[in-house]
Amino acid sequence: MSLIKKITKIREMSSLLFLVILFGVVGLINSDFLTPTSLINCLNDSVVFTLLACGIAFTIFTGEIDVSIGAILGITAAVTSTMLVNGSSWIVAVMVGIIIGAVIGIFNGWGVAYLGIPSLIFTLGTNGIIRGSIYVYTKGAWVENLPVWFTKLSQFKLVGNLTAYYTITLVAVIAASLILTRTRKGKYFIAVGDNASGATLVGIPTKKTKMLAYILSGVFAAVAGIIYSSRIGFITPTAGSGYEMRAIAACVLGGISLSGGLGSLIGASIGAIIMSSVSRILVFLGFSSDYDNTITGVLLITIVVVDALAQNRSAIKNRRQRLMARTALLPPAKGEKQHEH
Amino acid sequence: MNINSSLIQFRSSIKSTVKRWETVLTFLLLSEFIVFSLANEKFTFARMLLSINDIISICIISLFVTFVMVTGGIDIQAGSIVGLTSIVIGVSWQDGGMNIWGAVIVSVIVAALCGALSGFFVAYCGVQPMIVTLGGSFLFSGIALLISKISSTESYKGISGFPDSFTQIAKYKLFGVISSQLLIFIALIIICYFLLHKSKYGRSVFLVGVNHEASEYSGINSRLVVMSTYILSGIGASIAGIVLTAYLGTAKSDIGVTFTLPIITAVVLGGTLSTGGKGSIFGTALAAVVIGVLRFGLPLSFKISTQYLDIPVGILLLAVVIGRALASNPKTSAFFNKLLRKKSVG
Repeated sequence: MSLIKKITKIREMSSLLFLVILFGVVGLINSDFLTPTSLINCLNDSVVFTLLACGIAFTIFTGEIDVSIGAILGITAAVTSTMLVNGSSWIVAVMVGIIIGAVIGIFNGWGVAYLGIPSLIFTLGTNGIIRGSIYVYTKGAWVENLPVWFTKLSQFKLVGNLTAYYTITLVAVIAASLILTRTRKGKYFIAVGDNASGATLVGIPTKKTKMLAYILSGVFAAVAGIIYSSRIGFITPTAGSGYEMRAIAACVLGGISLSGGLGSLIGASIGAIIMSSVSRILVFLGFSSDYDNTITGVLLITIVVVDALAQNRSAIKNRRQRLMARTALLPPAKGEKQHEH
Repeated sequence: MNINSSLIQFRSSIKSTVKRWETVLTFLLLSEFIVFSLANEKFTFARMLLSINDIISICIISLFVTFVMVTGGIDIQAGSIVGLTSIVIGVSWQDGGMNIWGAVIVSVIVAALCGALSGFFVAYCGVQPMIVTLGGSFLFSGIALLISKISSTESYKGISGFPDSFTQIAKYKLFGVISSQLLIFIALIIICYFLLHKSKYGRSVFLVGVNHEASEYSGINSRLVVMSTYILSGIGASIAGIVLTAYLGTAKSDIGVTFTLPIITAVVLGGTLSTGGKGSIFGTALAAVVIGVLRFGLPLSFKISTQYLDIPVGILLLAVVIGRALASNPKTSAFFNKLLRKKSVG
């Protein structure tokens, strides 16, 4: 157990190190980037991605994926904003938004966990349906003229220069992270992703855990949608499209293994900061925003390839170690088959 | 051995369902025609043939993505390669001063390289195909945008004014009725059919999808096979990009970005198993036409805005996968059998 703990610690440390080096290099080229205000802004701007990344992290922990979160963000942003524009109370609007996220999460969870449909295909289908529904709901128009108090809320500072949104998100992420690592039920997510059949054998409700992961992913995306609308102030029908991909990239940057069973929410948050800083860094380096997609693609591919190569190497190393241990213990037998995995 | 016999049974059941599945698709297609033409008399078979250009790209790409999915992979970058192909043709012709056919060849090579890049990472580095092609879709659409900035024409306008010989690719009509795009589609179906179902290469593609390790042990260079399928799908996307550019008469970097959902839907609806090892070109072709007719007929016959078209396509995809999951579940099939028996008794 202590070995696994050590590895996860190292994984987080490496992404933190990457963040520090990245910021350091950008700071060397343009020292304006490293001013406290600029750094705090980096944190504040990452709030939407932090929520999305932590949400999708639950599904990735269990070894699945959820590509519908961008669309969930879009539809909750559209619905909540429209309700606020029409003058409903904020509690009702926020509740409706969260319920939408949870219901979509339940639907995804049902398809993936209970029907056993490959998660990418199922959530891709949900993604299409929700995207189309946003057009139906908004009739293709922008949602504008959000109440001023709502958009001003995004500027509200709670601790120092950190916005209330980021502070609350941070507290929530730390709490969720503690639940994941310290409680029995929290550990189910990682266990299911690490070895699904093993988890079933020791009595972990695999399907329920996956279902819960999708619900959490939906709810996190819904909250992200509400905060998105408060920060941006207007909602286009394409709001949040492609965000699911960036959230996945953030998770990978944060050291979460896409085959499941490895990683932490703290890592996902660090990844989200890197991911949301890309366009900001481009501005400080004097590139146009046209480079956004290219840089994101290069970053994503580089990281997954390095991650996969490192994992392959460690798998081979582990296998060799186990083999060595076994051959040291057992007398060599002729024709004995070695079963690994 | 027990496993062996059950495997044979499993295979024969797959064969019969594939046969049945293609019949189902044909009925689906026919019923679409009937419903749409009843709803609006403007919807006719001849008009459908003439306006195939709206759906041809999806049909072409999904044929090639079938190869990828038979090996158990997935390709969500094909849509962005369409835009890249288009802008490469435009820029190398207009700003590079190349012959138009030279530009076309360059674009096919670029697309094949894009496929090879992703295929290499999937096959030789063991990265999950979804994530690689996801990164690829970012990267290639980003590169397409950057290339469009090189051009002297502003990117939102698109590069136009191609020579007639090039636009004839999409505008030529055999006997004045059958469009060249339909001919290209049929030719590609035949080529892909022989490649996947009648050639040694196709057999190895299937074997890699059924059992990666077994294929490796039987002397197939499975990594090369996996990589080659991504190259094929890149080439398929470039063919679609060429046809689309010729039809539109303009080269733009962002055409094709909305194709991902319809392509995957077409392949899955066509009976290809997303876990690999099963699939057919005819199934994919039929399914692509079913989706194409849906995307063409709904706006024409029911006045549904084209922006809403993701909903029916998404529902179709989910209905197919849910239906299949329920059908393969012994509990539900037993339930339905009971229901049928009760009915026949009553």
